[in-house]
Amino acid sequence: MTLLSLQAVTRRFGGLVAVDAVDLDVAEGGVTAVIGPNGAGKTTLFNLVSGFQTPDSGRILFAGEDITARPPEAIATAGIVRTFQLVQLFQNLSVLENIKVGCHLHTQGGLWSALLRTRRTRREEQEVEARARELLQFVGLEAAPETEASALAYGQQRLLEIARSLAARPRLLLLDEPAAGLSADETKRLSGAIRAIAGRGTTVLLIEHDMKLVMNTADTIAVLDFGRKIAEGPPAMVRESPPVIAAYLGVGHA
Amino acid sequence: MPDLSYLPQIALSGIAVGCIYGLIGIGFCVIYNASGIVNFAQGAFVMMGGMIAYSVLNTLGLPLPIAAAVTIVAVAAAGVAIERVVVRPLWDRKATMFVMILATLAAQIVIERLALIVAGDQPKTLPQFTDLPPIRLGVVVISYQFLWIVGVSLLLIVLLGQFFKRTKAGKAMRACAFNREAASLQGINVSRMLALSFALSAALGAVAGVLITPTQYTAFNVGVPFAISGFIAAIVGGFGRPLGAFMGGIMLGLTQSMAIVAFGAGLKNVAALSVLLIFLFIRPGGILGEAK
Amino acid sequence: MTNLPAITSRDPLRRGFVALPWAVACGMLTYAFIAGGYFVTVMSFAMIYAVFVIGLNIFMGTAGQVSFGHNAFAALSGYTSAVLTATYYWEPIAAFAAGLALALLVALVVGWPTLRLKGHYLAMATLAIGLIVYEIATQWQSVTQGYMGISGISPLAFWGYEIVSERGKLFALVLIVLLASLAAARLRASRFGRALAAIAGSEDAARALGIDVAHYKLAAFLVSAAYAALAGSLFVHVVEFVSPEVFGLHMVVLAFTMLYVGGIGTLGGPILGAVIVSLLPEMFRGFKDYQDLFYGAGLIILLIYAPKGLAALSDLLPRKGRA
Repeated sequence: MTLLSLQAVTRRFGGLVAVDAVDLDVAEGGVTAVIGPNGAGKTTLFNLVSGFQTPDSGRILFAGEDITARPPEAIATAGIVRTFQLVQLFQNLSVLENIKVGCHLHTQGGLWSALLRTRRTRREEQEVEARARELLQFVGLEAAPETEASALAYGQQRLLEIARSLAARPRLLLLDEPAAGLSADETKRLSGAIRAIAGRGTTVLLIEHDMKLVMNTADTIAVLDFGRKIAEGPPAMVRESPPVIAAYLGVGHA
Repeated sequence: MPDLSYLPQIALSGIAVGCIYGLIGIGFCVIYNASGIVNFAQGAFVMMGGMIAYSVLNTLGLPLPIAAAVTIVAVAAAGVAIERVVVRPLWDRKATMFVMILATLAAQIVIERLALIVAGDQPKTLPQFTDLPPIRLGVVVISYQFLWIVGVSLLLIVLLGQFFKRTKAGKAMRACAFNREAASLQGINVSRMLALSFALSAALGAVAGVLITPTQYTAFNVGVPFAISGFIAAIVGGFGRPLGAFMGGIMLGLTQSMAIVAFGAGLKNVAALSVLLIFLFIRPGGILGEAK
Repeated sequence: MTNLPAITSRDPLRRGFVALPWAVACGMLTYAFIAGGYFVTVMSFAMIYAVFVIGLNIFMGTAGQVSFGHNAFAALSGYTSAVLTATYYWEPIAAFAAGLALALLVALVVGWPTLRLKGHYLAMATLAIGLIVYEIATQWQSVTQGYMGISGISPLAFWGYEIVSERGKLFALVLIVLLASLAAARLRASRFGRALAAIAGSEDAARALGIDVAHYKLAAFLVSAAYAALAGSLFVHVVEFVSPEVFGLHMVVLAFTMLYVGGIGTLGGPILGAVIVSLLPEMFRGFKDYQDLFYGAGLIILLIYAPKGLAALSDLLPRKGRA
């Protein structure tokens, strides 16, 4: 079943067509990767799907619903949650609190319940706490929940951001270059985590430069070049595709 | 209904005070372009301009042109002092924009209080530059001070234009406005530009203070209203554009003098502040659109 | 959970550092109750300002926004309380309710367009709001009596019970501050407070997690305006007099000094800052003209050398349990 569907989505910046009439279907379940040389329009594509930018034309459907040009918070509510190429943690909060913020969508407490601290509020807080700790364990950060997020090593920050996104229980998780800045060891651990996330039933769409990570984790790969989709299919097929080889050789073995 | 024949006269006084707002607005832009800082102590320069000129004139008994020159140099030095003592340490510590605003606002208050302690709370004024009866043109009366204000303002704008276009320092400052990092890579001393921008901006404020004081008065607490008017001028002109700020200043001056006729002098600040809010809410990029 | 104990059990030196400013604040309050006299008045002012600063801290410390104009809401509520009780003989509580409603209404109307602004635009717009209210207070003489001010405001009273003694007032104010602090602490520890803190950390990330940033900013603005309104009303009832100067730019600078002395973004900072900053002029008695000078200069020094304030004194010590 198709979970996310882009139909002729186009976005221009001045004279530059960053995303050019891209059609893309992401099947529910599993991992889909979008690859392509630098400047191919991958990040713009993510911004369009997650609502941080709006397409000039085309439609974006999610679970059959038209979500084109909705603001980011509405898209998150619909079930798409993203991470950022440059990690965007809440540096001022603890590791645990970062994840708790991620639970925002699935909890209800507002101003009055916070002031009155009703029994329901307290129960909700306990659930949030338990869920946050469970997710910390899932990404292996359970050792120091009270540490300020800014004090984590870079690789740990990436993992924390992913755990925080999972706390929002997305149907579709968008990962924007999750392996950027990670060591080989950390990348290996990350690909394990991505497979595990997909295994838990969350569909993953990722942009990535690290070909090893992509080949190890993706079920389907779409290739962008100069804003256009030039290939799509399972890893083995994409690897052999002549336009892909040409595009990659063109920019010197990226 | 006010008598419409006053209208040209009102417009003239609006233009005069508008030139002053424009000069202060340019002062905001000069610092902002060089550093990205909005200096909320800008009004202190105007206040010091009037106060120091008054003291130099009355206690040292120097003639007005020399007193004005001494004042401008002194205030420029004060600008550099603020930059060294308040702004530089925060800049080096990578303080947030908000902390910078708060610190410059605090500097404004410190200077204001120092002026109160040194000079007392009595308003002071300066003599007209040219002590001749005003020129009459039909229903309109033009004072020589008006000519001084408009003339000096226009002269300063031409000189500033030449400074930015022709001199090495001016070009370097423009480069900073365009891209600080690139400027620094090209060997421009960005931090010296910061000091220079404070000196220039303070001098502009001092000129504004010296020019306007003969038509009204100066006191320790005139700074904040002037700073706000100058800021409004800069916003209306699209922050960071000196020429736009000057035009914004004249627009604001005209609006204010109309408001005085329509609602009375008491609400002139409310009128100016309302212009600010309307611009912020509807056209934060100014009449010409945002700079850069 | 291997090194959890190392984080929770803090060494005694550290604890002492955290406790020191609190000991000073509690000591001062206790001393005020025992000694009585003028010192009680000083501490009463401190408590009123504490309420104002606690609110400001929610908007600025927690949500990471900027406002130079919260004195507007104190003024709106303060003047409403003053006029309704002095001229129309309303009950103080009813007058406060009206003042609070007015302040919140204005906060809602101006907050919506203002909070879309960022950076120095937001700073200047809020400053303008505060100044507009100040100007109106000076000019609308038929209601506010201009610079002369309004006197004959009824003293602090709760449900018909008037508090006349200075010590009684201080006691009531301390209770109000504790309640205000408790409310702030509960907010901070809730889903609501986390959303605000998230906005301070990264607006983009907050939105990506489904937080309606504009909605929460406005909510934080309203909450802090409510605190400011409470402080404004308390002020006029405790002093039984009001003039525009009470809620001028001076109030903003004083509140910021307190916020920074105490420690912005910390729970106890506002109370600590309010008590300690209020004591300063007592130390420099006879230098009344120098007060604002010292506040301004002190604030600059703090911003440069101790931007986290007293509540973060312990940060100066090496920290354990960091990853």
